[in-house]
Amino acid sequence: MSSLANRPSDRLIAVLDVVLLVAAGIAVLAPVAWMVLSSFKQSYEVTAYPPTIFFQPTLDNYRSLSQTTPFLQFGINSLIVTIGSTALGMLLGAPAAFVVSWTRITWPAIVTLVARMAPGTLFLLPWYVMFRQFDMIGTYSALILTHAVITMPIVIWVLLPFFDNIPRSVFEAAQVDGCNPVRIFWRIALPLVVSGLAVSAILAFVFSWNYFLFALVLSNSDTKTLIAASFNFIGEGSTNWGGLMAAATLIALPPLALSFVVQRWLISGLTLGAVKG
Amino acid sequence: MQTSKGQLGALGAPAVLFTVAMIAFPVAYTLYLSFEAFSSTGTTRFIGAGNYTRMVNDESFWNGVVITFYLYILSLVLQLFFGTALALLMFRAKRLPGFVRSLFISPFMLPPVVAGMMWLVILDPSLGAANYILTSLGLPPSEWLASPQWVVPTLALIDTWQWSPYVALIVLGGLQSLPPSVYEAAEIDGASGWKRLWRITLPLLLPTLVTAMVLRSVDLLRFFDLIYITTQGGPANASLTLNIYGFRTGFEFFQLGYASALMVTLSVIVLGVTLALNRLRHIVAW
Repeated sequence: MSSLANRPSDRLIAVLDVVLLVAAGIAVLAPVAWMVLSSFKQSYEVTAYPPTIFFQPTLDNYRSLSQTTPFLQFGINSLIVTIGSTALGMLLGAPAAFVVSWTRITWPAIVTLVARMAPGTLFLLPWYVMFRQFDMIGTYSALILTHAVITMPIVIWVLLPFFDNIPRSVFEAAQVDGCNPVRIFWRIALPLVVSGLAVSAILAFVFSWNYFLFALVLSNSDTKTLIAASFNFIGEGSTNWGGLMAAATLIALPPLALSFVVQRWLISGLTLGAVKG
Repeated sequence: MQTSKGQLGALGAPAVLFTVAMIAFPVAYTLYLSFEAFSSTGTTRFIGAGNYTRMVNDESFWNGVVITFYLYILSLVLQLFFGTALALLMFRAKRLPGFVRSLFISPFMLPPVVAGMMWLVILDPSLGAANYILTSLGLPPSEWLASPQWVVPTLALIDTWQWSPYVALIVLGGLQSLPPSVYEAAEIDGASGWKRLWRITLPLLLPTLVTAMVLRSVDLLRFFDLIYITTQGGPANASLTLNIYGFRTGFEFFQLGYASALMVTLSVIVLGVTLALNRLRHIVAW
């Protein structure tokens, strides 16, 4: 191996590999870096042509964001909807994943895949009619319920392998000792999958936070989430790119920060277990 | 034993009830709505297959089908190519610093809406950085998202930027699970690098590639966020995919019945492509 790797042509290929990898890294990173840089530019500098890379950074864009838009209120709305739907998804999904793992009855879990595959508008049309009937359009409840359709399947499919990894003998021993399933779930299974709970909660949070379509229709000006409010920022963006990029940076911050925490489990979570990351 | 079954049922019941109320019933209801017409006062009446015959004769529908598949196939090919190439590079590099993985995660964890806002600024036809780079390289500037001709390729490029790293991480997982013995055998036989790639690595990777295709197809066929935030289907309906068309029919023109028919059709398309790819996965399995 080593004698082969030391041939000049192989060394050339190794150098080429590094160059290509660095190029790929730059291509991936540059647009995001540009967004963040632009958010710190003065208004005359952000639309300067040719674009400038070196400039006097300013926090003006971030300051004016809270003055010209109800950014804080949208942020609070996003947190209410995201945390609410993550909690609901965990409450529904964790016991369901346990039952699927225990009984090996998988069809309920597969039905939730429909939610992953169907276009969101397929659900949004009947929901709109239903929520209008109950006068729930524009309420946090409608947003939390609909976002839970995103979070619950994530929780089920992320937790399933964690439950499957618990040796059956643990449950059997507990049953012999007279433990019933509910007790086994609470006292034995859940404490053993704490890391799975954390991963599924974080992934559910990220996907609920990023979700656009449902809040676009089901929220009103008081309950609008940050993502759904993006149009407000773009409307001003035609004159104020700095503000637009500051808003984009702030909206992207929570999902980016959280996904770095769970990156080890990210791929298996994102592929609903189809691929081990 | 009987109580144990009952308790398991009680643990699973909330999720089942929620699934019925929020997923199964709404899907059935959309199917029902697709046979209804809504009046301006909100009352409905049964019109049989009326929405579907209207759809077949609707130019915008066929336009939407063509754009949906154009965007789907272009994006899929681009991200499979770049994703696989990136995965092969990462696999060969062996000792990658830990932050590289985090770096490659960041595009697809970015909310698609934020990606749209970001690229709107970069691709601005008159003041954007992209056209500055093109012109300083001596190339003609592009109208990007503002051009009916280039809007779909531009959307495909943005999506490729965002999702190629995701494909790469899936393929990397596949590469790492290949038995090392096949490489050693090929090396002893003196097969060249390209030959090894084409004859051994890629065929063995096919199941992983098909998995990546299934996962990306589901998202690409119902492409929504990025288009809606950047073009809303324009310019001149050049990016009006079936999904965007259905959404606008439902929530801008409030033709909920017709929109339901469009969404049922799109769902059948997604399901059909997924099933076909799943069959392919069984064929290429080894």
